Amino acid sequence: MHLILWVALAAQVPAPTARDSAFHALNRLAYGARPAEADSVARVGVMRWIERQLDPDHVPDPRLGERERQFKILDYDRADLAGRYRDAIRERQRMQREAAAAGDTLRPRGAGPMREFRELGGELQQLAIVRAAVSERQLHEVMVDFWTNHFNVFVGKGADRFLLPSYIEETIRPRALGNFQDLLIATAQSPAMLFYLDNAQSVAPGSSPPFRAFRERATAGQAVRSRPTGINENYARELLELHTLGVDGGYTQQDIIEVARIFTGWSIEPPERGAGFVFRDWAHDRGAKHVFGLTFHDDGRDEGIALLKFLANQHATMHHVSAKLCARFVADDPPDGCIDAAVAAWQKTHGDIRAVLRAIFTSPDFWSAQAIRSKVKTPFEFVVSAVRATGVEPDDTPRLAQLVARLGEPLYQQPAPTGYAETEARWVNSGALLARMNAALALAKECSSIPAIDDHAQLVAAIDEKLLAGTMSAHTKSVILEQLADITDSVQARALAVGLALGGPDFQRQ
Amino acid sequence: MTISRRIFVKNSGLALVSLGMDPLFLARAVFGSYRPLPSHTVPYRPVLVCLFQRGAVDGLNMIVPHGEPAYYQERPRIAVPAKDVVDLDGHFGLHPSLAPLKALWDNKSLAAIHAIGSPDGTRSHFDAQDYMESGTPGVKSTGDGWVNRYCQHDREHADTPFRAVAFGPQLPRILAGTAPSLAIDDLQAFGLRVPQEGARDRLTRAFEELYDGAGTGLLASSSREGFEAVRMLKRADPTQYRPADGADYPPGRLGKTLLQIAQLIKADVGLEIAFADCSGWDTHVNQGSSDGQLAARLRELGLALAAFNRDLGDRMRNVVVLTMSEFGRTIRENGNSGTDHGHATAMLALGGPVNGGRVLGRWPGLSLEQRFEGRDVAVTTDFRDLFGEILSRHLGATDLGTVFPGYTPSPARFLGGIRGT
Repeated sequence: MHLILWVALAAQVPAPTARDSAFHALNRLAYGARPAEADSVARVGVMRWIERQLDPDHVPDPRLGERERQFKILDYDRADLAGRYRDAIRERQRMQREAAAAGDTLRPRGAGPMREFRELGGELQQLAIVRAAVSERQLHEVMVDFWTNHFNVFVGKGADRFLLPSYIEETIRPRALGNFQDLLIATAQSPAMLFYLDNAQSVAPGSSPPFRAFRERATAGQAVRSRPTGINENYARELLELHTLGVDGGYTQQDIIEVARIFTGWSIEPPERGAGFVFRDWAHDRGAKHVFGLTFHDDGRDEGIALLKFLANQHATMHHVSAKLCARFVADDPPDGCIDAAVAAWQKTHGDIRAVLRAIFTSPDFWSAQAIRSKVKTPFEFVVSAVRATGVEPDDTPRLAQLVARLGEPLYQQPAPTGYAETEARWVNSGALLARMNAALALAKECSSIPAIDDHAQLVAAIDEKLLAGTMSAHTKSVILEQLADITDSVQARALAVGLALGGPDFQRQ
Repeated sequence: MTISRRIFVKNSGLALVSLGMDPLFLARAVFGSYRPLPSHTVPYRPVLVCLFQRGAVDGLNMIVPHGEPAYYQERPRIAVPAKDVVDLDGHFGLHPSLAPLKALWDNKSLAAIHAIGSPDGTRSHFDAQDYMESGTPGVKSTGDGWVNRYCQHDREHADTPFRAVAFGPQLPRILAGTAPSLAIDDLQAFGLRVPQEGARDRLTRAFEELYDGAGTGLLASSSREGFEAVRMLKRADPTQYRPADGADYPPGRLGKTLLQIAQLIKADVGLEIAFADCSGWDTHVNQGSSDGQLAARLRELGLALAAFNRDLGDRMRNVVVLTMSEFGRTIRENGNSGTDHGHATAMLALGGPVNGGRVLGRWPGLSLEQRFEGRDVAVTTDFRDLFGEILSRHLGATDLGTVFPGYTPSPARFLGGIRGT
């Protein structure tokens, strides 16, 4: 059926070549094309390649498995990381006391266990880059990034320094192409989200824990030592505004309060017990809650689960999340057609993410001339696509993550629950563009996918082929050739030409 | 033609328009009437420099309430002894490390603001910094920062890429948003990072040409702006900079950053708002009193601000430096001779337009019933009242309602920190 749609579409619009279509799909469903990949996808057939990407369990990915084994952070579970973090904090405090006792007024920093812990945190960013660059399951990686951003958690907030790895590995990754409702419930129960949006501290007013000793214990590393005394609305608000219904989803402040009451008691075990999800009966508001025409009676944790299921299946949620998916895959300001197609698939399949994506990828809007090369890459997309195109090896040092950060998108470090923006206006400004040019010049020096050719015309043609799948503009070609005119060293010529191509306007687009 | 003249000419034109039909005229009349008239002899634009003391500075040991017996009762080990305090008004005094700023207090260009903070009671660094930068306490989903929103809604100076600059590797939350703003880690390295000048110039021209051919979109205009900025800075030649009048910046990141801000102001590239972080204020353990950990941080701050003031000299008449911090610290010292997360703190405002020589804001007192939640200095000034006053009376902002959504700024609540005309 999809092939038929595609053929019908191709009849309307001046048909792009099979390779152009493949390049477009690789730019959106993947982190750009590796050299010659547009041709190989075109040979398989772009729609067949998309179907394979929608079924990642059947895409072998041996190289990524090998690379993942280099990352120590994947060997530690949440409790291990919590313990290491606690040790690091204690060690730092001890050193501060000693330094102060010795009359040393310089602040001790970056020493011992805290530095090791920070390095582990850095590994998480590296791992994201390696996966995006190396994995054969490209659409899965793109969707992991999409949901991590949709359900954003800031790694710099207290306990989230050690809760984030399990959030990525256990909450997001296994569900990135699953069912939206499952994903929503998983994020709601994730310690990382419970801590980030303060629900871990939300208790029914007047409630108190059963044991005195328990009362004294602070919640998972937060510097606030005082015991929470009432409901906290933060999670409830962002759940409605960002995760589900959307800002115009038609809810009121009173709705937010009722939702917050439903989630009282959803909290986290102390770090020494593994910092897992726990429902605290004593903290739960037992009164009746009225929200969205529903009444929730004293039903403990099940109230929250029922509410999440309700929210996941609201039309406003389908529309809000579908529009966001279309902004990612189709255009910054996506046309109604692809959004409506996504919502229809969502309704039909009760939130099967793969069906929703398939509807977007088979919608005429996705393939329209206006959509092709209309989006500017985010910093993460820019760096990873450059790495893929040039054959730069994404190693486990922090340099590529630092590059992404310098371009304005430090991974997992967006403090606001909105996540990073998807739009050109957020990413393109004079400082950021200069930073991209510098990044391009640096990456160009390591380019291994283009041979050092003496003939300048051949060199530019090879770059056009391998980095841009033949889409380099005539203007870009002529400017690069002009710059090469007096250069005789072929290695120098390659670095200059690749740097200009990666830093120039053609490669910023996808 | 230098940028400052361009802006001056442009401002004059706008001033004429606003006398007539400008729909913002009424708003300007309310908020703009206190703005000093542009001097025709000194066509410098007003500049705001924000220093964020990340980690929550102990306002009570920075601006010491030495006239309050409770201050000494609650802090037996870390209070600054009255004999060491640099007295300001008989009740408050500067921490001795800030002595280099006393001359500025005496010439009325330094004011302190006490008991200032957020209406939100959070004691989380993350949340409180977030609120102070987004300008929307209690609302987490605000996507942009208040400085950026000011730039979005006040487009008079939108013609220079150096209008809003953060000194550091990344753009902070306060500057995030759709209005163009720059993060500069090192002024001398701004532009393409190519060691040889000849190669750098050549690549610069090549990239310019590439983007000029890319049409009229945001990519092309941003590239033009970026290279214009590089050229402006090259003309100003930051590598040759020497601080004026023997100004001696202290070693360390803060001194280096303030020196670069001074450079950029003097380069006349159109800087309106500069932002920088200075960290190290989270003194839970062994905070110290007249000497020690906090004293060392304050010494660096005092020396850096004094050097900045000296370096800029006459230009300080158009510059306001404002320190801010996410919250203050507990009134009572803790078991580790430190202080824990509190509520209200103190800020400093420095510069020619500042109505200085005064401690501004209503002092709530330190007795038990005067405290916030029984432990912290209560907030008597919402930080948005101070930020709003500086934006409108110093920078000439006309629409504070859009800069601080959900908040109705009122000149009646302004503290009078900026001089009237």
